[in-house]
Amino acid sequence: MLAFQRLARPLGTTATKTSPAAYACCATRLYATTENKGARFRQAGLTKENVPQLDKVDSILDFTELSKDKTLEQPKLFPAHRPTEAVMNTVTEIVDTPLTTVEQARLLKKTLVLKRVVNMNGKGKQPSMYALVVVGNGKGLAGYGEGKDEEPSRAIFKATNRAIKNIRFFDRYDDRTISMDIEHKFHATKLELRSRPPGFGCRANHHIHEICRCIGIQDLSGKVRGSRKPMNVIKATFEALSNQKMPQDIAKMRGKKLADVQSVYYGSH
Amino acid sequence: MVFFHRSDKAGKQILYFFVFSFAIYNFTPLINTITMPRVYDLCARIQNGFRSRLQTIAIPETKMNLAICNVLYREGFLSSVTRGNHVGPDVEYTPTTNENVATRRLWLSLKYKDNMPTLNKLSVVSKPSKKVTFSVNEMKSVASGRRAKFIKPLQPGEIAVMNTNRGVLELQEAIKKNVGGEVLCRAS
Repeated sequence: MLAFQRLARPLGTTATKTSPAAYACCATRLYATTENKGARFRQAGLTKENVPQLDKVDSILDFTELSKDKTLEQPKLFPAHRPTEAVMNTVTEIVDTPLTTVEQARLLKKTLVLKRVVNMNGKGKQPSMYALVVVGNGKGLAGYGEGKDEEPSRAIFKATNRAIKNIRFFDRYDDRTISMDIEHKFHATKLELRSRPPGFGCRANHHIHEICRCIGIQDLSGKVRGSRKPMNVIKATFEALSNQKMPQDIAKMRGKKLADVQSVYYGSH
Repeated sequence: MVFFHRSDKAGKQILYFFVFSFAIYNFTPLINTITMPRVYDLCARIQNGFRSRLQTIAIPETKMNLAICNVLYREGFLSSVTRGNHVGPDVEYTPTTNENVATRRLWLSLKYKDNMPTLNKLSVVSKPSKKVTFSVNEMKSVASGRRAKFIKPLQPGEIAVMNTNRGVLELQEAIKKNVGGEVLCRAS
């Protein structure tokens, strides 16, 4: 069993204010935005006054404490030995999303497929676990990710991270159902998804049901025809919902005005 | 000519003459030359034109074709509908005479937005083998999302072209005028 270490130190615990070189790396990524240009710095503890003027700093003369022992030998500025542990197959905690860690923790995560797959090599059969995880926040954001690892828990972890990375926004009608009936074919899976009135519930394949729960679609009727392989049903649903045509776009294309009578009279608000 | 005689139970002899029509071999399948083209011809041409991302297509000029294209134009699927030659649309008005009737075409300019065609599917509903006629109530149910007579309900953005006593109309227009008729095709 491979032991893995957490490489990323948590934010702020080892940050010292003495020198800028000793700041810990952040677990969350702060993205460059147009609003927070001057306000936020990547390293915690850096303030506008603290920022070193790099063009005015000299690498030898200004770092006097590092060149104290002026011997003829080379000063040992770097550790002489290589790090003893070489960690293989690390599962990193850092996920590349604009979602904060709080939002990531609050996401609905559901493992829909977990199966044992085998890779035949010259060395023999190499089994591993494959996981497909669907994440969503119940308000339109959702995504799916696949992960493979020797251990199921780590495969699920990898899949969850990839799912969070692949999150995208899905348009819903009235925040509860799809806008039009969809017919979609993905490989051997044919999907029929129908929009339904409020209070209907999600009556479709159990995988589609879970995906709708993650997205936040409450009323749907659907049928999977052809192959019902879970992996393909999930991928088909995501593809079908991504390739939806919104009535607003149709109206724009045809030069017509769109008036939503149903939401005015019967919509759930 | 083949002579056929068949003896009845009463012993009468009835002569049947069968005249076989000679097969006409068409080497130019561009235009249906024998009879006026049916609705499926128009549907296929327009769909193929959109799939090939053509700018304009030429279809045979008939009253039915013109009427359906007018409906599609009013609904915003086509940019323009013009009469023309087999070469191109008319620059100036040319009357249809007996001499030029064979070359007369209808030129439709197709509409695209954001690299997507406005019309994805134009499918026939009423076929010669199975005609579909709707009453006003059935039309209203189809328009409101319930099926009628094995015809799936209209989705948002879908239209149905109908042939009524008051002309070729879109389904919603026919409901307004309170006329039923034959459902020719549906476009989405």
